Amino acid sequence: MSTARAAAILLAKEVRLEFRTRELLNATIVFAMIVVVLFSFSFDPTAAESRRLGPGLLWIAFLFAASLMLHPSFGREQTNQTLDALRMAPISPFALLLGKMLANFLFLSAAEVVLVPVFAVLYNVSLAGVVGRLALVFALGTLGLCVTGTVFSAIASHARMRELLLPLLLLPIQAPLLIAAVETTAGLLAPQPGLDRAWLAFLAGFDIVFLTASWLLGDYLLEE
Amino acid sequence: MKTRIPITLVAAALVFFAGYAALFIAPDEKTMHEIQRVFYFHVGLWTAMYTAFGIAFVANVAWLVTRKPRWDWLGVSAIEVGVVCCTGGLITGMLWGKPAWGIWWTWDARLTTCFILWLLYISYLILRGLLEEPGRRATLSAVFGIFAFLDAPLVYASNRLWRTQHPAPVLFGGPDSGLDPMILKVMLIGMTAMVAMAMIVLADRYRLERMRHEVDELRVALETRGEGSAVTSAARN
Amino acid sequence: MRNFHFLFAAWMTVWAVFFVYELSVASRISRLRDEIERLKQQLREG
Repeated sequence: MSTARAAAILLAKEVRLEFRTRELLNATIVFAMIVVVLFSFSFDPTAAESRRLGPGLLWIAFLFAASLMLHPSFGREQTNQTLDALRMAPISPFALLLGKMLANFLFLSAAEVVLVPVFAVLYNVSLAGVVGRLALVFALGTLGLCVTGTVFSAIASHARMRELLLPLLLLPIQAPLLIAAVETTAGLLAPQPGLDRAWLAFLAGFDIVFLTASWLLGDYLLEE
Repeated sequence: MKTRIPITLVAAALVFFAGYAALFIAPDEKTMHEIQRVFYFHVGLWTAMYTAFGIAFVANVAWLVTRKPRWDWLGVSAIEVGVVCCTGGLITGMLWGKPAWGIWWTWDARLTTCFILWLLYISYLILRGLLEEPGRRATLSAVFGIFAFLDAPLVYASNRLWRTQHPAPVLFGGPDSGLDPMILKVMLIGMTAMVAMAMIVLADRYRLERMRHEVDELRVALETRGEGSAVTSAARN
Repeated sequence: MRNFHFLFAAWMTVWAVFFVYELSVASRISRLRDEIERLKQQLREG
């Protein structure tokens, strides 16, 4: 079975599984919203400050939400020991990883679609005219979060203290992505909106590099 | 083992000579004067760090391909030594920054990416501590080590890609860069000395890892031997 | 000599970094060596 087809089937499985209960999605959205609101308590933003600090706070909220949401990605498989069954299927390990990466991407994007308008309202930021470019930045950034997150979730799932370990592993590796995402988002939400091409290229480069590395190392991640 | 003492003495002599050269042979620098002499060790520590992480990367790949335990031992040892060198580099950097810039730290591209690299490899060491089964520990930490190494080129390139508080590149830097020949010579001595120290410490750390493996094997041998005699005595009865 | 204290502290840092680490590795090695001897002895006695 081709990798693409296997990944698509696994993606459908993950989505179907999640939509039965929607517990992960709900928890992620609520958690990110709490972080965003808590930041507004800590910083008491005026309009100018919220424009400056806003993009950083938004992305940090997603970073935290992602690192909590990604843990069950492999954690769920472990509780029911379904990972062995998946390993025995005639699919490449990378297909398994890809399916999960895409599923996480979908869930995190769904959370972002809800949260970005909420953020815009709470922080008095106008999204007019930049929605398309903002969507691009968020897509690239979220992809990077999900690629690294899924890989490290697979690594952490075998360790003790995995709930704490996953953010510990993820945050340093995602830091460059975070910086690039915040810079591009800030550029788009500034009074004179503009898309910083250099940082955008960095985002795309990050995604390509880590996707390639996952493809090359996928077999080792999922072996017995 | 017999070669260890001469090698260590040579390395110690190298470090002493590097220190002497840094303090007395190297010419005075125009703007920063004496404090600039930290440069000879600061750069040496980073060279040692990149060397160590480079060795670790090779070891990680070699483990995944060959599954020979010595690559796992080399991997963790090299990363630990790399973290030690990175720590030294960060501290010497701060001790240079305070007199030269007036600040202990700033979040420019070079310092930020470097700090992230430090945290990343510390996470590697924490991960290893939390993975229990040896085979899986070796494989998963090798994969993590390879991912971590992807960050290293970014640190090196950071003061070429961005304008930073940290000085711009002096080697292979561009039209305005370049070093006084004597400064370059002393810098190379410093780099050699630091890398030599790192390699010696690495060799010891590798030995430690090999001995840990030996202890595990002995323990297993004792357990199986114990079970074997229990079975024989039960059969006899 | 300007900023001598900082230069000295940096020099000491380099020494401390390698020395302290080497010390920690060496002490762990000697502890393991004792452990290995002990285990080998146990194996021989069995």
